Amino acid sequence: MTEALELKSRLKDKGVFLAGGTDLVVGVAKGRLSVEHWIDLSGVPGLSYVREEGEELAIGPLATHAMLERSAFAPALAQAARTVGGPAIRNRGTIAGNLGTASPAGDVSVALLALDARIALVGSHGSRSVPIRDFFVGPGKTRIAHDELIQEVRIRRSADSAFLKLGKRQSVAIALVSAAVVRQRDGRVAIALGSVGPTPLRAARAEAHLALAGLAPEAIGEAASLVRAEVTPIDDHRASAEYRRAVSGVLVRRLLEQLAASSKPESPARA
Amino acid sequence: MSDIRVSEAAPTSGAPVGRSATRSDARDKVTGKTAYGGDRAVSQECLHAHVLRAAHPHAIVRRIETGPALADPDVVAVFTGKDVPGTNLHGMIRRDQELLATSRVRYCGDAVALVVARTRQAAERASKLVVVDYEPLPGVFTIAEALAPDAAAIHPEGNILGRQRIRKGDALAAMAEADVVVETEFSTQSVDHAFLDTEAGVAYLEGEVLTIEAAGQWVHEEARLLALALGLPFERVRIIQPPTGGAFGGREDLGIQLYLGLAALLTGQRVELAYSRAESMIARHKRHPIHIRYRFGARRDGTLVAAVVEVQADEGAYASTGKAVLRKAASHATGPYRVPNVHVDVTGVFTNNNPTGAMRGFGASQIAIAYEGAMDKLAAALGMDRVELRRRNLLLPGDAVTTSQILPVVSAQECMSAALERIGWEGRSYETPAPHLKRGYGLSVVCFGLGYGDGFPDASRARVRFTDGDRLEVYTGAVEVGQGLVQMAAQVAAQAVGVTIDRVDVILADTARTPEAGSSSATRQTFFTGSAVRKAGVELRHQLLDIVGTLLPVHPDELDLADDACFERADPTRRVPLSAILQEGRRRGYPLEAEAIFEPRTICQDDAGQSVRAFVTYLFASHAAEVLVDVETGEVQVQRIVAVHDLGKAINPLAAEGQIEGGVVQGIGMALMEEVVRQRGRLLNPNFTDYIVPTAMDVPEIIPVILENPDPIGPFGARGVGEPPLIGTPPAILGAIHDAIGVQIGQTPATAERVWRALQQAPGR
Repeated sequence: MTEALELKSRLKDKGVFLAGGTDLVVGVAKGRLSVEHWIDLSGVPGLSYVREEGEELAIGPLATHAMLERSAFAPALAQAARTVGGPAIRNRGTIAGNLGTASPAGDVSVALLALDARIALVGSHGSRSVPIRDFFVGPGKTRIAHDELIQEVRIRRSADSAFLKLGKRQSVAIALVSAAVVRQRDGRVAIALGSVGPTPLRAARAEAHLALAGLAPEAIGEAASLVRAEVTPIDDHRASAEYRRAVSGVLVRRLLEQLAASSKPESPARA
Repeated sequence: MSDIRVSEAAPTSGAPVGRSATRSDARDKVTGKTAYGGDRAVSQECLHAHVLRAAHPHAIVRRIETGPALADPDVVAVFTGKDVPGTNLHGMIRRDQELLATSRVRYCGDAVALVVARTRQAAERASKLVVVDYEPLPGVFTIAEALAPDAAAIHPEGNILGRQRIRKGDALAAMAEADVVVETEFSTQSVDHAFLDTEAGVAYLEGEVLTIEAAGQWVHEEARLLALALGLPFERVRIIQPPTGGAFGGREDLGIQLYLGLAALLTGQRVELAYSRAESMIARHKRHPIHIRYRFGARRDGTLVAAVVEVQADEGAYASTGKAVLRKAASHATGPYRVPNVHVDVTGVFTNNNPTGAMRGFGASQIAIAYEGAMDKLAAALGMDRVELRRRNLLLPGDAVTTSQILPVVSAQECMSAALERIGWEGRSYETPAPHLKRGYGLSVVCFGLGYGDGFPDASRARVRFTDGDRLEVYTGAVEVGQGLVQMAAQVAAQAVGVTIDRVDVILADTARTPEAGSSSATRQTFFTGSAVRKAGVELRHQLLDIVGTLLPVHPDELDLADDACFERADPTRRVPLSAILQEGRRRGYPLEAEAIFEPRTICQDDAGQSVRAFVTYLFASHAAEVLVDVETGEVQVQRIVAVHDLGKAINPLAAEGQIEGGVVQGIGMALMEEVVRQRGRLLNPNFTDYIVPTAMDVPEIIPVILENPDPIGPFGARGVGEPPLIGTPPAILGAIHDAIGVQIGQTPATAERVWRALQQAPGR
């Protein structure tokens, strides 16, 4: 790791960290990106892990989507990982790469945003931790400094969570809208959405409403309409802003209904 | 047709024809051994070419400066239209497209310069240094814009490529007197062929002969068109088809062969060229986007009395095979239904979009969406069951199609009954797992005239011969593009001659070695090349029987040939092995080879679009689809599709089922997701990230059902598979959506957003 960081501070912009390569290699092949030196992280030992540490889940910088798919720690995260690309992409693509790419449509990024993940960055000047809320700056832009890389991603155990995505087909699909909801153990509910703004975003007003009103059916309906007002989608060749706005409300409502159903003590456990 | 009535053994159980034999090309394709066009390109040292495409969808080309590109030390040559030695023109029906544009570009895929360099990267890099001085012209991108009185003229004669009409009976009068009239409108989208291997190949000179290895669909016609464009005599051009990963009509127009040929001819060296996915999608023609206004008039009891159909088609920048597509849409306007009065007007207009031409379905696919949509609407208007309405109007044997051609074999009713039975129509359930999900069922019945039809010369030749090693070789100029032709030819030859399938080698698609077979398109190769191979095979069989007749004291009529042996019908234990027959035949100077041509005639439609024989034969099919629609998001999930096809005879049932399944998947794509999106002539999604085709996860259970009502002419009763599996799918899915939500979606693809919007706008919400 130290060697990788040294190389990076020496090569500066001419060196690019390579993990799964599912984004960068395609970028090079399409001529969007030209890379002089790759700093291949695949040989660095001990970076590929997903492990529970007490009440937290630690995700290593080379952990793949396929590894997260199998984790029962946070259902939303496993569900989001499962919708990324196809099996080949999930076997190669890393969680850290998904965050670093900072696509507004990043599936796992949306789940991690709802889960209040903390992102540890390491550079030649040491380590620091950035809350995911502050991490995304714009499409393709994050708080990662030029000499830093993602060292680890951590989330806390939550009471329940769920993720839904609408794409143009059942797999290998970019999200038209994606959404994740999390019920923390203190009862607070977090809502995050993807593909409806320049970065994955949190629906703060809807969250605030639920904090007061709970998960009663009327509260859920109100939260869904607050979400429709909060999102800032655009028209593009994939979908119109109007449609994305409407679907945002539908997905959040369905997710909240799931949370409400599973939080009732008499209700049977969800499959 | 007396020339095709030759004696031969009818297929029996265990016979080569009708057996689900594994395709001879399957193992190498599945294990990655097969070298496609792009694989050949990298196998030897060669020069590399790159095509510079137009920077504007419509512009005058004032000047092209190649100097800066030539200054690159890795660049060998830069060619423009002025360097092309021949006519510099190509086009399947009308030569209206320049190989390299000299004065004008009409869409973003037009080629303006060809760079040849020592590396692929250098060729691509240098193409950006070619300076083209354009004078942009106003573009025309929709049918309405093209027809506007002040529209910019894309071709000297204006923006109308052609009109096609049907006038059968007096449809306008009959419509006025009909008890019930329904009208429906559909707009279909621009669809890409999306075959797996993009255009790629090599070209080189073999002495005087310009040889091109690149995939097309009709090697002999490609050689003729290429010879004209490059100013070479036909015999100086050789085209060899490499193994090909799909075509679907997308390789019918000449393209990459021209650039490969020009580069090799003018440099004298071996040259490779491979399109990227983006270039492939930007340059190639597409399926016609069509707007259809469809009216049915019926009596109270559901009997159809009239159809009035208006079709407007976006032809894009060049003619391609557009006129034939328009004619096919017109001749199939009323599909498998008995309609005494028909009035059809089809207009094709030029725009500055991609040219439109051949794609699986060829106009019959778009019109099927309209007649089936109109049937569903008519059933609703009459308060009649959809199935009952169809049953009353479907053609019966001896009835006539749109063009008044009377068909001897009609199995429309039988196909529909089978589809209904297999999907469990009677006991269908509308239950769903959640209130926001609605279930629906759709039904389509389609017919399809195979071959070029309309009097266009349509023939296939084939040669069969025994080698000195007792192998049976079949020579055909037909191309294998994944459809299974190689196995079809082997099984037909084995059956016709009387040998085992394993003894047969099929030599395909090389203009220097194989006889002309016409194109692999129009659902025609099983029927045409299958017939030619069978005729040649039967001729060879007669030679073998003749030889045996002198070995055994039996009349040849009492002998049979099968499984590499000749035996007496009365006593099959009295037999002569094939090797002994061939040995004797060689000793006595028998040719042990035979060639045959199959050329059934058709008759061009008259001014009223009528012809007693527009097509050699018709296929019938019926699809039933079950869908779940999410009424809050508009998402459609296809649950099941039953696809019933009357193939006449399945030469290889396993392969036929595979082809049906493939067509259904392509039909799902057309119905629900595939769409080339353009903004003022520029493609916004020339890639597989945004041009959405179905994945394995989008494909439901597909139940292929094969019916076998023998064709009176086709080889062993076979007609073919080809296009109908695609044609029947979109109307069944759209009908199922209509059934689920009570709203007819008038635009393909029925994306989630379109379904959602239709629900938002539906009355009563």
